[in-house]
Amino acid sequence: MGELAGNLALGFATALSWQNLALCFTGAMVGTLIGVLPGVGPIATIAMLLPLTFKADPTGALIMLAGIYYGAQYGGSTTAILVNIPGEATSVITTLDGHQMARHGRAGVALGTAAIASFVAGSIATVVIAALGVPLTKLALLFGPAEYFSLMAMGLAFATVLARGSVYKAVAMIVVGLLLATVGTDLETGEDRLTFGLQDLSDGIDFAVLAMGLFGFAEVLRNLENPETRDVVKGAIGRLLPSRADLKQSLMPVLRGTGLGAMLGILPGNGAVLGPFASYAVEKKLARKPERFGRGAIEGVAGPEAANNAGAQTAFIPLLTLGIPPNAVMALMVGAMTIHGIIPGPQVITKRPDLFWGMVASMWIGNLMLLVINLPLVGLWVRLLKVPYRLMFPAILVFCCIGIYSINNNPADVMFTAFFGLAGYALYKFGFEPAPLLLGFVLGRLMEEKLRQALVLSRGSFLTFVERPVSAGLLLVAVVVIVVAVLPAVRKGREQAFQE
Amino acid sequence: MGGNRMNRIRAPQDALGGLFLVAMGAIALWQGAGLSAGTLGQIGPGMLPRALAAVTLLSGLGLFAGSFFALGGGLERWHLRGPVCVLGAAVLFGLTVRPLGLTVAAPLALLVAALASRETRWIEAAVFAVALTAFCLGLFKYALGLPIPVAPWLIGY
Repeated sequence: MGELAGNLALGFATALSWQNLALCFTGAMVGTLIGVLPGVGPIATIAMLLPLTFKADPTGALIMLAGIYYGAQYGGSTTAILVNIPGEATSVITTLDGHQMARHGRAGVALGTAAIASFVAGSIATVVIAALGVPLTKLALLFGPAEYFSLMAMGLAFATVLARGSVYKAVAMIVVGLLLATVGTDLETGEDRLTFGLQDLSDGIDFAVLAMGLFGFAEVLRNLENPETRDVVKGAIGRLLPSRADLKQSLMPVLRGTGLGAMLGILPGNGAVLGPFASYAVEKKLARKPERFGRGAIEGVAGPEAANNAGAQTAFIPLLTLGIPPNAVMALMVGAMTIHGIIPGPQVITKRPDLFWGMVASMWIGNLMLLVINLPLVGLWVRLLKVPYRLMFPAILVFCCIGIYSINNNPADVMFTAFFGLAGYALYKFGFEPAPLLLGFVLGRLMEEKLRQALVLSRGSFLTFVERPVSAGLLLVAVVVIVVAVLPAVRKGREQAFQE
Repeated sequence: MGGNRMNRIRAPQDALGGLFLVAMGAIALWQGAGLSAGTLGQIGPGMLPRALAAVTLLSGLGLFAGSFFALGGGLERWHLRGPVCVLGAAVLFGLTVRPLGLTVAAPLALLVAALASRETRWIEAAVFAVALTAFCLGLFKYALGLPIPVAPWLIGY
């Protein structure tokens, strides 16, 4: 306990420097600004704003990026409540009751509840990260290549189950992602692989390029095709602070949501996506009058928002302790860390404690800032939401281009992004989800490395993965998850969950 | 009648998607053909790319075959205007940013992208292009100091 307090003290000392506070504030602010734009999710937001962090030192850059991430998340919720357009999968749930509250003239209360719920969840999740950081890092040091490989395999298994649409197509997308990850110079022999002789591909496909193409550009193309039905809430936002009765009604949902979100967020394989869905289902089940849900029940905003934010934050745990990014956003964080010369993994906490704990502390500060920034600025966001799409999409495109160019100062990257934008458009038309592809890509390189190491150690025997107990356990979980997902009964439930 | 039914694709979307995967797997197999696979104890550079390409190809075949049996989604309409203008704008940006700088690349990309929407009003778009370019120059070049060319043909950087 004393150690934890000492660590947090170090963290706050780092995060509370004027410079880092300013970076955290700017990050949260611009993150919200971009995240509010309909159709721009956190992945595109972070990829677009990555260059903003280049000037800062590594600690400051990560603090700012984390701020951008929370800002983007919160901006997505704002859009969900005010316009009924979810910025990303995790704010789908918020549209259900949040937008209904807004229609009944309680937009302000919905936004306020979302902000407060996120803040409470963020505070608790910060403590969870601080408490789990050290023990999990120690665990990570016991992991050999076989365990790492199996852990990532388990993550991919979860990703197939959590994707929308058919499990078969999700598996195919993961394989394509793994395949794309092999493009570039071979780790051991230095040979070029699948590069089509292009010099620009010998370093592999840049993650930001792939993510921006598949999510950012393809999203613009999709939005252009669907006639605009933006239903910005008209009339007054109303007061922002929830009444005492509102708070009393939201308290337990927030705490339950935080617990669910925090637990699911730790899972490798984008468990955080599941948090809001799970929380909504639980609250509906526990409610005395479940028919209120979908008609503006405050619990339907408070619980899922808390789960969303808690999961968004605990998703840092696998990244910071094991070096495994559990979702696409965390993969972008890896990219940002590498740019600043930090390789995420268990060594960060011992070698750069100021960076690790500073980032943990800044998570809490960032959540507080969101509360402070957003409540007074709601009017500005509403005005921003009224900007017509005909102006918004060319601006988004130009920002994306500048962002992508600036990552490596390479014009070819912009063209590759356009290519992946086309690929993303095609995948959408064929009914494939890009999210599992991205996760396969994210884990691909590390998985290949660990697979090859494990097989060298075992002299080519695959039995090593089932003879080592931890590895066997992880693989067993993976198999069970997949089997359960294709069972007809669960399949039906899963379809229903995504339909809602 | 029975034979006829067997020949009919019942899930056109899956059929095309499957062929897409087959094509991707085949291209990757062709590209990776020269790489040595190694042995399981000492995996070479070619083993994983080829194995994954093969799985991609097979899963595509599976999807294609399945589309004859199970009913599935129909084909989506493909549009030309959006993808051509938006992605073309990005390509133009990539081509022009080094030689001509941001002062040309940004407004050019913005206006070409604006062609994608029927709702675009040209005077508004032109004013917006100028304003946005000025904003981007101020933010990315002067506030953040990113090494992005401004106008090499005019001021040399």
